[in-house]
Amino acid sequence: MAVPKRLLIIDNGSYECRVGWHDTKQPELRFRNVLTKPRKDRKKDNQLPDASAPAATAEELRASAEIQIGNDIINIEAVRAHLKSPFERNVITNWNHQEQIFDYIFSKMGFDGEESIAHPIVLTEALANPNSCRRQMSELLFECYGVPALSYGIDALYSWQHHQQKHKLVADALIISFGYSTTHVIPVLANKMQLEHVRRLNVGGFHINNYLFRLMQMKYPVHLTAISSRIEKLVHEHCHIALDYREELLKWAQLDYYEANIMKIQLPYNQVTATNALLTVEQKQEKRRELALRLLDIKNRREREKLQEDEEYLQVLRKLRQLYEQDKLQKFERALQQQQIANLEELDKLMGTLTSRIKRVKERAVGQPRPSKQQDKLDKMPKPPEGVPQAEWLSELRNKREELLQRKQARQQQRQEQARRHTHAAQERMRIISTLARSEKRRKANGGDEEDDGFGMNDNDWDVYKRINRYNDDSDSDAENEQMLEYEKILQHYDAGFDDANNAAMQALIAAENYQLHFGVEAIRVPEILFQPSMIGCTEAGLAELIAFVLKLFTAEQQQRLVDHVYLTGSCAQFRGLKERLAKELLELRPFQSSFAIYESNDPTLSAWLGACLQANSKNFSGSLTTRKLYQEYGGEYFREHSASNLYYPTPKD
Amino acid sequence: MMDTNSLQKPKRSFKRPFAFPRNCVYRPLRQIHNMERNQKPPADQPTYFTLNAPPSLLPAKKYSDISGLPAPYVDPHSKLRYANADEYASMQHLPSDIINGYLTLRGYTSAVG
Repeated sequence: MAVPKRLLIIDNGSYECRVGWHDTKQPELRFRNVLTKPRKDRKKDNQLPDASAPAATAEELRASAEIQIGNDIINIEAVRAHLKSPFERNVITNWNHQEQIFDYIFSKMGFDGEESIAHPIVLTEALANPNSCRRQMSELLFECYGVPALSYGIDALYSWQHHQQKHKLVADALIISFGYSTTHVIPVLANKMQLEHVRRLNVGGFHINNYLFRLMQMKYPVHLTAISSRIEKLVHEHCHIALDYREELLKWAQLDYYEANIMKIQLPYNQVTATNALLTVEQKQEKRRELALRLLDIKNRREREKLQEDEEYLQVLRKLRQLYEQDKLQKFERALQQQQIANLEELDKLMGTLTSRIKRVKERAVGQPRPSKQQDKLDKMPKPPEGVPQAEWLSELRNKREELLQRKQARQQQRQEQARRHTHAAQERMRIISTLARSEKRRKANGGDEEDDGFGMNDNDWDVYKRINRYNDDSDSDAENEQMLEYEKILQHYDAGFDDANNAAMQALIAAENYQLHFGVEAIRVPEILFQPSMIGCTEAGLAELIAFVLKLFTAEQQQRLVDHVYLTGSCAQFRGLKERLAKELLELRPFQSSFAIYESNDPTLSAWLGACLQANSKNFSGSLTTRKLYQEYGGEYFREHSASNLYYPTPKD
Repeated sequence: MMDTNSLQKPKRSFKRPFAFPRNCVYRPLRQIHNMERNQKPPADQPTYFTLNAPPSLLPAKKYSDISGLPAPYVDPHSKLRYANADEYASMQHLPSDIINGYLTLRGYTSAVG
């Protein structure tokens, strides 16, 4: 059977999906293999005007609220938390998502308007993909999209075949494939993958990104949002694999090495836009006062305008009244009508209210002159009480502040003591708890009407709970903190020599530095999880140990054949220092003076797609296609094996 | 049921009406694992789940949770590892959620909650 048409090559990776025709040099479509649903409430907002709007615009609105996929995601940073993937690890588990992604792929590749996908498809799948997953994939592609034929392959093997173009005579290799969710060690002997000896480490690029994200998040809890958008860039550009991890760490422990090599990342910072949350209590108060002043200003202005208006009106009314007093009745009547006033009585009443209002406003203005800012500040600043010399008063304040500080430290001390067992404080705490529990029980046992021990009559009784609370002793220290701030303010005001690290000028200087992220040890610490998964609580063997494990499954002669061509592929193979580190590890685990060689893929991200392309272009490729007929005959699990595919093990029938 | 499903989906010309049975739309890997185990494949047949890396036999190295430096000490109270006295001092002021964050990141779970 001849290959009927152009083939569509899909490298369906858990990080990125690459799609293109088999006769092109590059995949035409590359996108992050994720989708997101815009939030429900936004959808509702969009659809509300539907009822009145014409049908066409309603359609548009709905389209904008629909699921966004891959490159169509408008702002990937904003929806980072809501990204959904069809994958769990490297296996497809969510078929709704996968179907939506296929819709996206096929409409981007220009199938809109056609009745089915009339092109054979080459698709990558996970190594040792479970049969049930493959069955569903086949069902989806054959039944839903009407694909004529399919070919499944493993990305790492495709990549290897691409690499083999330059190393035509090499038939044995140890492929190490660094994926987004997994890392594979794949032994190949005589161009055949040794499936039973393949091992998979479930750590990959995702874990590296996530580890860095969590570390930075806990190091700088304030800058959470600013960090999340920079993680991938940091990993891609600044992380590398240490040749000797321990040695590098010890270097970082030296302060001067740290100073010389630390990377400081300045986050966007401008003082004006500092959010409310970052202001100190003083700054907040100042802001509030300013706002109040401004409001007062507006109110005063409005009042003055109103006053002027009232006075003018009163003037007019007075003239009217004069008319009446001068017995010019006719003119008076006409004027009354003009002003829409019924009669003399109403005129008098109106004049009365106006005068009283004017009087009231004027009185208020006199009694409460507009406070100037400076005046305000001086007024608020407490003065020494009368009869006490200022110096004495200040020293008293200073003492009070010291006392507060000491109390704070004592509390801290107590908290630490309580946290440990066998200390007096901890035992005291337990004693109180047990007494409380006992009295509670007694009351319950007697149906609640036991003689009251009087607990709670006095407010101080409740302090016992504060004493046994291990963590939140902050409730009463808040007030103390405020008190302390107040003292400090006064001391700063009167006492030039008062030394306080928190003074405003200093604060402005270090504020920008607060927006700096220090990125040092992380650069080697994060990708190190490939070699030491225990760092993220993963019990699996690290990469070096895993390679040793896989090699031990072979005879000495086979081992030598494998290590003579170690091939690194996958996006994570791009870490600087990876090759050197692996060389060091191999040197350690191979016999003395034996040889080995490590080759890197020249295009780690695309080589799988290119390799699949290569195979699709080969002469006897049609033999590796699973056609529609085969699918109907053998069922969804079945697929034709080929040089880059999994092995077919039919599911045992019971 | 299939009708309502295909109505909800965006209409694409290249698609035919098709829907997976409801219990097959999403199967977590754990469930797939159980299914495969229940099918009792021959013991020597490699499956996705037999290819897992073996557990590490090397003792896990200990690193400070905060700085990442080699850490000879553990704070018995918070269970955080630390490399030197300065770090210990800085640890004392960490809020409990950050402490827990570091512990879960390392995969530490205490026997007593």
